[in-house]
Formats: sequence, structure tokens, C-alpha cells
Amino acid sequence: MALKDIKTKIKATERTHKVTRAMEAVSAVKMRKTQQSALAGRPYARAALSILARLSGSSDVTRHPLASVRKIEKIALVILTSDKGLAGALNSGVIKAAVEAVAPYETAAVTVYAYGKKGEDFFARRGYRVARAFENKKDIVELRVMEELSEELSREFVSEAYDEVLVAYSNFKSTFEQAPTVRHLLPLTQADVEQLVKDIVPVKGKWSELKPIESPAAYTIEPGDADVLGYLVPRLVSVSLYHLLLEAKASEHSARMVAMKNASDKSKEVAHDLTRLFNKIRQAGITREVSEIVSGREALAT
Amino acid sequence: MAKSFHLTVAKVGENLFEGEVISATLPGSEGMFQILAEHEAFVSQLKPGEVRIVDAAGGTYHFHIPQGGIAEVSSHQATVLL
Repeated sequence: MALKDIKTKIKATERTHKVTRAMEAVSAVKMRKTQQSALAGRPYARAALSILARLSGSSDVTRHPLASVRKIEKIALVILTSDKGLAGALNSGVIKAAVEAVAPYETAAVTVYAYGKKGEDFFARRGYRVARAFENKKDIVELRVMEELSEELSREFVSEAYDEVLVAYSNFKSTFEQAPTVRHLLPLTQADVEQLVKDIVPVKGKWSELKPIESPAAYTIEPGDADVLGYLVPRLVSVSLYHLLLEAKASEHSARMVAMKNASDKSKEVAHDLTRLFNKIRQAGITREVSEIVSGREALAT
Repeated sequence: MAKSFHLTVAKVGENLFEGEVISATLPGSEGMFQILAEHEAFVSQLKPGEVRIVDAAGGTYHFHIPQGGIAEVSSHQATVLL
């Protein structure tokens, strides 16, 4: 390789390094923000859960339309992915988990709600019906959008258009660990909600301690069980969905940050190796020239 | 000195208020009510209206809750979900 080519290559690698480092920094900031908002909603979810847990002593919870368990024939799949790639194995992991989850059902029995372009593209290409597709562009997740979606899902669930609603997303454990997860959103069961609240807590860090939920044995309920449940259960569904989205966001930015960090490290290494090579070839050229001059002089001297 | 209890007022994704309070007045669906420390365990739906809080230092807070919510009161703490 000519010296000039190597020089161009070193420059290009350094440029890539600059880009990936900038993306890493941007993702780090976004990651912190999304992690914080993912955790800020914890008191809400836990309080809602504790009320639900107490009320479920009465059988009314299982009689709620959103909690009715039926034979599963038609399902809805909500898939939360990112719009953009460059986030390591994040999206492929989520899509793989989602495909496994819907594998027992026929394509026609599955309706897809895609939040994020990657998931939408994947399922649309494979002939699934994509009922709604959202762009996952903004970093601030709007609760309103999730409420709309959860209302639609709840309505369709109650009208028996779907017998089960699944959500595929990436569960945020820590900055370096995100697990693709599939969860049941509907029918609502107490075990699912409990699991969800437990999983909100990351493995490590200042948020990782979870205090047990304290609740008294019995409540006086005003105006009545049915009214309170009627208010609480739909809210809980939309809050769950919102939480999953926040988790997906935190995972996306974490995964991207780690991927970009790896890319930065690698580009640094490549630039270093190329500089070595450049110096070696340059030195070889100089040595050759010197020996040519010397041997030329020797020839003249004799 | 009146007894205080722990109150959390939370909206999805945001904590509006958290701390020790003396009393909280809430617009229940069956009418306004006030919670003091050691109130009986109780859950109530809230209708749109005003929330008034007196904290342990004597400061008062007002919130308007345009969409109502739900309040949960247990032994030493109360939670208002909007």
C-alpha cells in the first residue's frame, strides 16, 4: 500500500472515531434522562399496585372485563423498538423474542402494533397486519400517545377482537445489560403487574433498593369497589404500557451508547495500527534510499 | 404539635409532592374530606377539584386536579394518584 493511501485511511478512521464518540456522548445524556423518567414513575405504579393487590381480595378484579381470561385465538402484539439502528443487538433481540412469542399462532391471527420503525418494517415485510405504527423519534415519551394506544387495545380486547395482548420490548437492567422480554398486557393479572413493578428496579445503582409495599389488611372503599376498579384498572393498563416504553427507551440509549463506545475504541485501535504501518513503510523507504546513496558512492569511489 | 404522616402526590412519571404533612384536604367523589394522621385505611376516588395540603412546617400547598384521581390512605402514609 502506498504511503498516501495509508494516510487517507488514517484520516478516515479518525473521522469515524469523532462521529462515534459524539454519538456515544449524546446517547449517554439521553440514557440518563430516560433512566430517570423510567424510575420517576415508580411511586405511581407501586401505589396503584398496592391498591389493586388489596382490592383483589374481593373477586371483583377477576370479574373486570380487562381481566377476563379466554381461550386464545387472536392476539395483538405491541412491539417497542427504535427507529434507528446502530444500537448493537437491541432491535434484533426484541424482534427475535417477538417472533418466538407469536410463532404458535398463524400470521392472520396476529395483529401488530408497532412503536418504532424497525419492528414495523420487520413485521410488515412478513405479511403481518400492522394496525398502528408510531414513530419512535422523540426522547420525551408522551403519556397521551400511550393512553390512546392502551384505550384502543382495551376496547378491542373487551370486544373480543383479541384474546390476549402481548408486548415485546427490551427490559432495562443496567447500562450494560438489556434483556429482550415479552410480557402479557391483557388480560390483566396481579402476577403480571407485580412482576412488572419488580422489574422496574434496575439491578444496580442508586435506584436498586426496593422497599416492600406496606398495606393494611382491609380498606374502606369509597364510593364502591366497582367504581374504584373501573377507574384503576384501565389506568393501570396504560401505566404499564407507558412503563414498558420508558424501559425500551432507556435500553435503546444504553445499548447505543455501549455500541458506540465499542466502535470508538475499535477505531482508535485501527488508527493506531495504521500509524504503525505508515511509520514502518516510511522508514523502509528512507532506509532504502540511504542504502542506494551509499552504494552509489561506493561505486563511484572504486 | 399535631401528628404528621407521609404523603405522596404522584402523577404518572412525575412526583408532585412528597413529604411529611399534618393534613390533606381532598375532593372525594362523595364530597370533600380531610385526612389527618392515623386516619383509617381507606381508598377513595377523587373528582376534579382542589387539593389542599398543610405540611409539617406549617406551609400550605394547593393543587388543582382537573381529572380527578384516586387516594389511598394506610396506617402512616397516604398516596394520591392523579
